Parts: sequence; structure tokens; C-alpha cells
Amino acid sequence: MRVLMLHAHPVAESFNGALHRLVLERLAARGHEIDNCDLYAEGFDPRLTREERLAYHDTAVNIEPVREHVERIRRAEALVLCFPVWNFGFPAILKGYFDRVFLPGVSFDIVDGRVRPALRHITKVATVTSYGGPRWRAFVLGDPPRKLVQRVIRVQVKPGAPMPYLAHYDMNRSTAKSRSRFMEKVRRAMDAF
Amino acid sequence: MRVLLVHCHPVPESFCAALRDAAVATLTSNGHEVRLIDLYAEGFDPVMHADERRRYNDLEAADNPAPEHAAHLKWAEALIFVYPTWWYGLPAMLKGWLDRVWTPETAFTISRDGGGIKPLMTNITRLGVITTCGAPMWWSWLVGHPGRKTILRGIRALCAPRCRTFFLAHYLMDVSTPQSRTDYLAKVRRKLSAL
Repeated sequence: MRVLMLHAHPVAESFNGALHRLVLERLAARGHEIDNCDLYAEGFDPRLTREERLAYHDTAVNIEPVREHVERIRRAEALVLCFPVWNFGFPAILKGYFDRVFLPGVSFDIVDGRVRPALRHITKVATVTSYGGPRWRAFVLGDPPRKLVQRVIRVQVKPGAPMPYLAHYDMNRSTAKSRSRFMEKVRRAMDAF
Repeated sequence: MRVLLVHCHPVPESFCAALRDAAVATLTSNGHEVRLIDLYAEGFDPVMHADERRRYNDLEAADNPAPEHAAHLKWAEALIFVYPTWWYGLPAMLKGWLDRVWTPETAFTISRDGGGIKPLMTNITRLGVITTCGAPMWWSWLVGHPGRKTILRGIRALCAPRCRTFFLAHYLMDVSTPQSRTDYLAKVRRKLSAL
């Protein structure tokens, strides 16, 4: 499959960086074609600009500032998100990717005032992430990043697409053992991708 | 009250800016002290850099990348956000402001042994959101209101234990009318008059 990897962590030697490398390695070993979009490494600017906002609904021109990213997502058959949860959500650089690239005409069309999904060519979405706090805390706070993936992205991609969501909770108290167990879980999930 | 208003919209002549102006005017005329942070106007950089991330768990209050913003937060008794809801959440600019400014020893302390979090924004006793959403209300609820939860649950957990909250939204913004916008502005004024 053609897999678009969206990675959002500034530190290559971090645990998230290790997860990123593991995913790339396993997917490549299984023969997938990977487009590795490392938002930090690419210097992505997540700030939607005044011009972009003014042209937001004009599908003739709205993709121009992010054309390359739009072409990359249109080529993808699967999506892998690899990011840490910061302050109950995506890191800004990843949130901005959705703000700027998931535009009308790209991720959804508005036909007769109704929203119609436009990423039906994506047949699988995997998430690999880590939370600072424990799972109960994420649950009590409503787990916004999980909802964004499993509810918002779900309705844009192919109906019924598998959406594995792999999370290491409680990173602040993680141990070498808990981390290696999670790496193993990610490895298995990617081998089965 | 001392009210800090955080505004985030790239278009100075947007409806969101009108909401901000209505909020500032209403609060001021009701005798509140108001300070404003306008993230786009300031050209705030929302991307947490590698060196900040590397030292994150050992950050000191003095490391805050926006010390003047941190000082406003310590000054405030009420914190109000005015922003458009994009992708059911905060614009990246505002999310990055939380990532970079609401950091250890400014907003919370990470306890070494238990890994738990102790809030440090306990001076904030009122927390509010004034936003616009493209989606209808029923769909926003079904999706789980990620933006609302980020602030009313996540950020609130770092404020005073009995911090009171409010959330105002103009849904279906893309098909708004002059009347619906006027009504919403009036609603914002009413809400803030009763702060």
C-alpha cells in the first residue's frame, strides 16, 4: 500500500522518534511504499494565514499554498499518525496540518450545502501515540485526540476502514519495560498492517 | 475582575475580531480590568522547538518562552478564549500557545514520584470560551467537542479547583446571517455582563 506517515515530534532521540523509526522500518519490511512526512523535519508552518482563510472555501485556489501536501494525501491509500499527546491534544504542528491541508475540496466537498467526505481512497488509518498521564485521566478529560482521529477522520476515509489506535499512557511514569512492551505492540500492529 | 482575553484569528476584520471587540468593550464598561493577547497580531510561534522539548520535564518558570504571557496568566482571575473552531478544535496557533506557555512550573508541577500533576493556575477562577463552529451543534456533540474539552476539562484541571466555566458557540457559521451574528454578539455581551 502507499502509506502516508505523518510524524510530529521535534526530538529524533525521543521515544516518539523511536516509534516513528520502528513504524517506518516495519512497513518497509512488509513492502509498503512509504511517504514519510516528518512535519518538524520539513519545517511545516502550522499557522493558517489570512490569505488562506479568505480563500478557504474557494476550491479553485485554496490548495495552492499547500499543493504539495494535498498531492501527497491524494496519493495515499493508508495513513499513519505518529505523535505525542501534548496538553490534551495534537502538537500544534499536527493540528495545523489538518487546519491547512484538510480543506474543502480535499478532505470534504460541500455539495448543495451538505458535507461529503473526499478521502474515500484511504482504507486504513493507524495511530501511534503516547500520553503523559494515565488512561483514566485521558478518559475523564474526554480524550480529544482520540476523538479527532476516531470520529472526525473516520467519517472522511473509506467507510469501515480499520483504525487501530495504539497509545502508551502514563509516559511520566513509564519504565524501560512498559516502553519495550509498547514497541512490541506497535511492531506487531505494523507487521499486520 | 482581572480578565485575560486570548484572541486567535488570522483576519483582523473577521467576525471573531468583532466578538473580541464586543467582549473587551462589555468587560471594560462593567468595571473589569482587561488585558488582551492577540496571537496572530503578535506573530506568536506555536511550534515547540527541540530544545524546549528535550528539557520539558525539567523546565523552570524562567524558561517560559513568552514570559510576558506567563505574567498575564498569573495576574488573571478570569481567562477567556475567543477563536474559530477549526477541525473541531483550537486553531494550531492557539494549541501551540498552550503547548509552549502552559508548561511545567508555570501551569503545573509534575510530581517526581507519583507522576501526577499539581495545578499552578489556581488564581484563575473563571474560564470561558467564545467561538464559532462551521459544523451544526448536533454533529459537534457527536464528535465529542474536542476543542471544548481541551479547554473546559484539560485547561480547567490546571486552574482553581472550583473554577467556573462557560462555553458560547455560533454553530453553522458558514451559513450564518447578519441576524444570527447580531444575536450571537448580543448573547456574548449578556454573558459577559453577568461575569
